[in-house]
This record gives sequence, C-alpha cells and structure tokens, in this order.
Amino acid sequence: MSLADDLAAFLGPGRVKTDPLERHVYARDGGLRTGPVEVIVHPRTTAEVVEIVRTARNHGSPVVARGAGTGLASGAVPTGPAVLVVLTRMDEIHEVDEASRTAWVGPGLINLELSQHIAPLGLHYAPDPSSQSICTIGGNVATNAGGPHCLADGTTVAHVLGIELVTVDGEVVMLGGAAPDPIGLDLRGVVVGSEGTVGVVTRVLVRLTEDAPATRTLLLAFGDTADAAATVSDTVAAGVIPAALEMMDRVMVGLIENWIHAGFPTDAAGVLLAELAGHPAAVEAEAEMLSNIAKANGALSARLAADADEAARWWKGRKGAFGAVAQRAPDYYLHDTVVPRSRLVDILGRVHEIAERHDLEVMNVFHAGDGNLHPLMPFDAAEPGTLERVQAAADEIVTASVEAGGTLSGEHGIGLEKRDLMSLVFSPVDLDAQARLREAFDPVGLFNPDKVLPAGSRCFDYGRPAPAQ
Amino acid sequence: MTGGWVTRDAPTPEELAACIHCGLCLPGCPTYRLTGEETASPRGRLSAMSAVADGIAAVDETFEEMMSFCLQCRACEVACPSLVPFGRAMEGARVELAAQRPSPTRRARGRLLGRRGLGSRPAVALVTMLAAIGQRLRAPRWLPGRLGGALGGLRPLPVRAPSTLSDTWEPLAARVGTAALLAGCVMDPWFAGVHTASIAVLRRAGYRVEVPAGQTCCGALAAHDGAADEARALAATNRQAFAGYDLIVADSAGCGAHLKEYESWAPGGEGWADRVRDITEVVAEAIADGRLPTQPETGTPVAMQDPCHLRHAQRIIEPPRAIVHAAGYTPVEIDPLAMCCGAAGVYSVLRPETSAELGGRKAAQVTATSARIVASANPGCEMQLRSHLGPGYRVAHPVELFAEAIE
Repeated sequence: MSLADDLAAFLGPGRVKTDPLERHVYARDGGLRTGPVEVIVHPRTTAEVVEIVRTARNHGSPVVARGAGTGLASGAVPTGPAVLVVLTRMDEIHEVDEASRTAWVGPGLINLELSQHIAPLGLHYAPDPSSQSICTIGGNVATNAGGPHCLADGTTVAHVLGIELVTVDGEVVMLGGAAPDPIGLDLRGVVVGSEGTVGVVTRVLVRLTEDAPATRTLLLAFGDTADAAATVSDTVAAGVIPAALEMMDRVMVGLIENWIHAGFPTDAAGVLLAELAGHPAAVEAEAEMLSNIAKANGALSARLAADADEAARWWKGRKGAFGAVAQRAPDYYLHDTVVPRSRLVDILGRVHEIAERHDLEVMNVFHAGDGNLHPLMPFDAAEPGTLERVQAAADEIVTASVEAGGTLSGEHGIGLEKRDLMSLVFSPVDLDAQARLREAFDPVGLFNPDKVLPAGSRCFDYGRPAPAQ
Repeated sequence: MTGGWVTRDAPTPEELAACIHCGLCLPGCPTYRLTGEETASPRGRLSAMSAVADGIAAVDETFEEMMSFCLQCRACEVACPSLVPFGRAMEGARVELAAQRPSPTRRARGRLLGRRGLGSRPAVALVTMLAAIGQRLRAPRWLPGRLGGALGGLRPLPVRAPSTLSDTWEPLAARVGTAALLAGCVMDPWFAGVHTASIAVLRRAGYRVEVPAGQTCCGALAAHDGAADEARALAATNRQAFAGYDLIVADSAGCGAHLKEYESWAPGGEGWADRVRDITEVVAEAIADGRLPTQPETGTPVAMQDPCHLRHAQRIIEPPRAIVHAAGYTPVEIDPLAMCCGAAGVYSVLRPETSAELGGRKAAQVTATSARIVASANPGCEMQLRSHLGPGYRVAHPVELFAEAIE
C-alpha cells in the first residue's frame, strides 16, 4: 500500500491530501523557497501524530511539521518528498492553572488566542512575534520565537516549562514539566528552537505572565539613526529595561504610515518605540528618564501615548511593518541578525553600505533593545539576477554581524535560509556536537532533514559514524 | 495538465504578484479559521490562482473546490499589508470557473442572478408572491431545511409588493441636494421597511429623494458567482439610469460595495465611485452636521453586526454605530474580527453547512450580550441572523432604528 493509503487507513480518506494543487499550495511557508510535499495531513490528537510518524517511518518518508506557515526561514519547507504534518487543528487549551500561572495547550493554538483567552485573569503569554495574530505555539517552540516584548521577558524558551513530544520511534515522551526545578538534563531546552528536527511537539506547558499594573508607551523621533542607537545603549546602561524597545528608519515609517496611519512622524530619520511596564510610579519615572536620555542624544521629539488606543495604534504599525514593505516590491528579504547593542550604529552603516554596493534598497525595523536587526530588502524576483544580488548582500550582512560579535539569527530560526552560514558561528567541533545531539533523538533522519545543520556537519573524526537506517 | 486563463476577467499578474506570502490574512479568514487548512486561506487561494496563471495547475475540480469555499467576505483585504485586491481576483477566478468548468446548474444559476432573474421585476414579484403565500401557510415549519430556513429569515412579506421605483420625494428641511436611491432587486419588495426609513431620513436631512426609473439589480451576486455577462449588462443599465446624479445611495451594504466597484464591470466616467455612498455614511454625516437630531440615551443595548461588504469592502465602521447611538441606543460590540455571518449572498444556499456553522457562531456572539436588538445594514446578514437567532430577537437596519426614534 502507498504511504497515502496507509495514512488514510486510520485517518480516513478525506483527511489525507495528495492532490497536486493542494501540494503546491503547501509547498511554501512565509519564506521565499518552495519544496516538494508528498502528502498533507492535519492530525487532531497525539495518537494520530504517533500513527503518522510510525507510518511515515515505515515508508522511509521524512516528516515535516508545520503550524500556520508564517516562518521566514523556510523551516517548514521540505527538501525532498515528505509528509507535511500540519498541526493547526490541535489548537486546544487543555488546562489553565491560574494559581501556578501555567497552561497546557496544543501546538496548533494561535499565540494571540492564548493571550485573549487568559486576559480575563489578568494574564498574558509574553512572546509576541509580529505574526502573533496567526502563528502557532508549536511554531514558536520550533523557532524559539521572540517578539518586541521579549526584551524584558525573554524569548519562547523562557516561557515553555514542559513539552509532550512524539519521538522517532513513535513514543510519547514528556520533557520538563510543572515542577520548578525538574531533575536531570534539560531536554525541554533542546526541543525549543530545534525547528522540528528532534520530534513532533504535541502539547506544550507554557508559563503565563501577569499583566503589568501600568504601561507607558513612548515615541521618540531622531534626526539621525545614530542618535537613536545611542539612546538605546544609554537606556540599558542607565539600568532601565523597557518591556520593548523598537527602532524604525525613515523609509520604513513612510511605508507603515501609508498603510496603517499609525501616527509615526514621517520626517524623522529614525523612530524609537518604547514600552515601559511595571509599577505605576516606576513606569512614570522610567518614562521620564528615557525621555531625558533621548533628548540628551538630540531627539527631535519625545511623546507619550495619550491613551491605550494611541498606544495600540503605534504597536499595530510596528507589527505590520514587514507586510507594509510589500507596497514597495513583490518580494522582500527579511534579515534577522543580532549584534551587541554597542555596535548598532556601526552595523547600520555597514548594512546601508552593503545594500548600496549591491544596488538594493534597504529599510530597517528592529528590536533595538536586544540588538536584533531586521534589515529588509524589497525586490522583484522576476527581474533576472536580483535574487542572487539579494542573497549575496544577505550573506555579507550576516558576516558583518557575526564579525561585530553577533550571530546569525535572533528569532526566525535557521531553517534552509541560514543553514549554510552556520559555519560562520560554529566550528566543525560545535557542528558535530549538534549533529550528534540531533542523532540521539533521530538516528534515521526522519524529522525535517537537511534543515539547520549544513551538510557534512557530522564529522566522523569526532565520534562514531551514524547508524545505518 | 494545461493551466492558464481564458477570459479577460481572470486574476491579473499584478493582482497575484502583490501577495508576499506573509500570512497576515489568515486570522480573519472564516474558512481558514474553521478548517486550519492553507488551501482554505486567502494566501492559499492566491497561490492556487498563481499556479494556474503560471500554467502549472489547471482549473480542475480541486481548484473549483478551493475557490467555491471562499465566502468573498474580503476580511483578508483589510488585513493585507500588500493591498492585494483579493475580492477582484476572486471574482476573476469565478469567471474562469464559469468559462472553464461550465455546467447546467451554473448556467441556470447565472440566469437566476442575471437579467432574467434578479434583474427582472416580474420574476422577483412572482417569487415574492410565492414566498408571501408560503409564509401565510407557515411554510418555514414544514418545508425541508434549507428552503424553510431561508423563508424563516425573511420579514413578513406582502402578497403584492409595493415598489418605490420612479417615485420622487421632496425634502422636509432646507434642501442640501438630491439623492438617487438604488431600489435593488429584492430590497424593494422584501425589505420595503428599509427603503421607507431611508427615504424618510434622507428627506429629514434635506435631500430630495429620487428612485430613478430604468435601474435594475446591482449585479453583485452575478459578479460574485462568475456570471460576467450578466454582471456587465446589469452594471451598464444602472450606470445609464444613474448617469445624471451626484449622489447615489444604497441601503444594502452588498449592493453599495458592488456599485462602488462598477469600474471593473462597466467602465467609463471618472469619479463614479465617489458619487456612490452607503446610506449609513450619508445619515451619519447629517447627524454630525446637526441636520438630523440626536435622541437622549435610553440605555437599551443594540448589538452591532458589521456586514462584510460594509466593513471590509467599504471600510465603513463608525457610521452605523453613530446612527444607533443617535437613535438613543447603546451600541454593543460583538466581534472584534467582524467575521462573516455566513450569509454571503448565494453562499448560504450553495454551502449550507459552512454557512450554518458561521451563522451559529454569529448568533452566539449576539446571545452572549444582553442586547435583544441587532443592527445590520445588509439584507443577507439580516436574514441569516433572524433565522439563527429565532424569535425573541429583532434584526433591523440601523437607519430603521433611527427613523423610528425621530418619528
């Protein structure tokens, strides 16, 4: 029997998709690449995932897990014919423990739906990627997703306490859990950010965060992006950790205003959006400190959001930034490198210089607070040679960031996109260690093969050869 | 397998290339939210259209299913940062379906939605008479599911329906202009109360109201179903009938949205879209100008249902709320996403299960509030809400509530 037939035997015939057009539609996520999808399934329970994994393994077909398909590193795009396991139907909120501030949720649950569900309790789920209105908790776990509010609260890994994982043998294991200090190795931390390469996550125990009693949102405009960058460094150096600290340059602000009319000043070279959260008195004092630091760095203006509506409008503008670029050109390349805060000014200059040299436009919107850069290059892939120029510029930007003491990816993941740049950051010994860790979970290369680690990562000089399949 | 388009209405390369695959359209899409499937999402549908345009997929059964599942609510357009004109592209895809996958049913449907059906006053009058008799025989109780449900959502109908066509009314206040009212196909006989209220309120606001002779059905349902020739013919007739007017008013959100987009169906004449306005825009403006009175608040809650073609297609959000408020009621929000109620024109007949699921969700959003009155500015939504809410709830056009309050 074929793979599809075997899957249909327990899922039912209507739930296994193999039509060429459906496979085409699922061949791409939020990134630029496409890949061959063999079969698409939407499991509803852990038991179904177990059966899918066992069946796929029997047929020698790789398993690629997918959430809402908003990932930007092509992490959910197969490199060879694969079973695409779409987890959007596993979107239950199994249990909310208000006292211990945790919840068991399905991997397909939409990030924002979790926060909306627990809002009446005065709680929220802290990681808030720009795609939070549709991206799934499972996808967030896979990429260790961040977001503007991860500056003070930390990325996904700081908010995942336990994981139910279906292993390569089709076993269901529990990693981590509700206990504050679980014994043994922290395998939960291995799964977060593993991009679907060690198993399929079927339930997640997440930490819920108390809403701050007060928030203040500040909009700071600068005549020079260097002044904005200096304000970021000085703020953190002064001991103020805003809940979020975001920067946008003039081109970006113009595009956002065109679309959302968020109310950003379009004449400034750089705009900082800062949110301060905490005790009312502390928040007021910090807002004043931040304003003063900005003014000392030559800010053109510093404005507090008049009310929650205005703050929400500013945030909507910020979170819609990547999409707003679409007005410029049909395609865009979104970078995700990280540099030390103190090097922000240098690296912004380098980014502009690299883009100019490759005859590309570049605009910036990023998590300035944690040095996570998101230079964006709009382009038209239909123009011959453009994609190659974009790729070349991208590689140079990543290299420059790494040279400045930074790294490849802040929050989007490695996927296929940055796989071959891993050796910029990791030595052969590092890569081999990572490959061996992955092999410990998945000795047969069943889960999302060819992702994250470049070919040849497994260096046989450092250990035993991979077991035969 | 050979793909490609065969009609001039097909999705254009520019429309398709505008999608950057970000996925921001997914949260508001009713069919994606029901299924969690990419193939049921706006992004997926655009990707399928691109596959056909690029010649790597054909207009086959799978393509037809993906396109037909769409409610054409256009919530995705509001979310789209790249400003993809999804509604237009989907109308183009439907025209392609009609051309490349013709069937007797589809042709019959095209005729029903076209000149000899909705565009024909005698045909509509006959159906109205049959429905009115059915109501008197308590048909909703014994007719099989779909038909009974549809009848149950209707207002009580007169056997011989009156018509506003060719009538003219003078303003009841200092004259500010002339408003030409779109009588519509079923609006006139089935929702006569909405026309009566619109005319009364427009006159109070200082408008001379005319219902130009020679007008016909707006053609929205034909356009949404891919019946391009019918949609074009109806649009051309209306452009001629309304040619001399600076202010064309629709009191059905679906009709108004389509009228504003006549440029795709009956091109010619700059500024047409600016001359068409929904009744809620005109009335809210008159209230703001002080040309219409504001009633003291009574505290009675009114649930605000946003018709997709008012909120998503025309981006009209505040005016119905302002009108309900000025009528003395307290507007109550029921759905921040303003997700489709499932009526979606003929969708409720073609896809009864999906329609009912969405209708049930919408009704639950209403019953979760203390409101017993629902304001809806579109006839299809009104019928859907009435049949899903059942007795105990009143569903009315916001302008009707306002007209009663200032009587």
